Amino acid sequence: MRDCLKFASLACLLFLAACSNPYKHLQPAQASSSAMRYQPHLTKELYRCVVDGRVLFKKFHLSGLLLFKTFEDGSTRVVFQNEMGFSFFDFKWDKEDHFEVVSIIPQLDKPALVKTLQKDMNLLLMKNLDVKTEQTYRQGKALFQRFTLEKGYAYYISDSNQLVRIENAGKSKVITITFSGKHSDAAMPEALLFRHHKAHFTIQLKQIVPDAE
Amino acid sequence: MHKLIFTALSVGCFFMAAAQPKGFKPVANVPAFQQSLSKSTASIQSIQSDFVQTKHLSLLADKITSKGKFYYRKEDKVRIEYTTPYQYLLVMNAGQIMVKDEQKTSKINTRNSKTMQSVNRIMIDCMRGTVFANTDFKVTAFESGSNYLLSLVPANETMKKMFRQIDVYLAKGSLDVDRLTMTEQGGDFTDMDFTKTQHNVALNEGLFKVR
Repeated sequence: MRDCLKFASLACLLFLAACSNPYKHLQPAQASSSAMRYQPHLTKELYRCVVDGRVLFKKFHLSGLLLFKTFEDGSTRVVFQNEMGFSFFDFKWDKEDHFEVVSIIPQLDKPALVKTLQKDMNLLLMKNLDVKTEQTYRQGKALFQRFTLEKGYAYYISDSNQLVRIENAGKSKVITITFSGKHSDAAMPEALLFRHHKAHFTIQLKQIVPDAE
Repeated sequence: MHKLIFTALSVGCFFMAAAQPKGFKPVANVPAFQQSLSKSTASIQSIQSDFVQTKHLSLLADKITSKGKFYYRKEDKVRIEYTTPYQYLLVMNAGQIMVKDEQKTSKINTRNSKTMQSVNRIMIDCMRGTVFANTDFKVTAFESGSNYLLSLVPANETMKKMFRQIDVYLAKGSLDVDRLTMTEQGGDFTDMDFTKTQHNVALNEGLFKVR
């Protein structure tokens, strides 16, 4: 009986240990080039944006348009507005990737939320990554190119030289970004899903091709 | 002393001119204008039109354009249906607002929110031409050769948070709303241009169902 209990406890501990670190089985590897090759080079992109989540027991749903624009001075702006043109927020990164909140509505002006959204964009646009910390790993066919962040890591996961997924994790996953329709290394994907595992919300983006004038 | 008075008057005149939209002058007889507006809108039971919405992002020197259809039925039924480049629907009916994006339908009872009541009221008033009676805004009337312009400046903190100003452009002959311009505090503004406007078309009640 005592042996059974010991075995069960050990099994539970092993199971929990395996669950807690999804990157446990990564093997060091070599990459033919830096993951920075996947950094999007964009001029202007417009997406339909849907945010779904819950705070405690209350669900929320927000929809609108997300505009990405890069300027000649190297700065980038990301603007989220509702379908009727009312702006929710306007974020800016200068050419050195310094972040600034240009404007934001009071309901979204919470430090934790702004930080999360900033991180989402940093991950997608590959901003503020310390290239000196880049390390490469492999799991099966997938290549994991990892950058060290202030807290945790950013993983750019590719398969057959195509970026398939971006993850932010410490001991466990924090954010997973999956996408489709990324037609070249430097292109923005046609569709994206940001899944926030701890904050319990998702952001779906679907590219809009504006009407020809 | 005369120089001082002259300078003060000149400066005063400059500021008055700056507040006046370019190409417009104040309506000389506002009560008469209000009367003709009331008379015109009294005969309108419904409005149907196409619209083009252009959001001008001033700091980005860019704009986002969308198109759709607009419906209004007396007294307080509004349907704004975006068709390209995305689907989005807003229906207002008897103090209820329904919003439908491509994934979800949400209902808001404006009775629970003073802000939503004000937004509901100003939208209806803009389309009905009854803005002069709206106490959430201070209204000034201007005219040009072809248009009247009603400039609405928020009179309370709630509306000030949402808008810097709303401008309603009316065609001089028909008094139809040609354009609605909503300017945010940060300077960005949204134009809604209405075309193919038809009055008193029979509109299906189903268009305004809030479900």
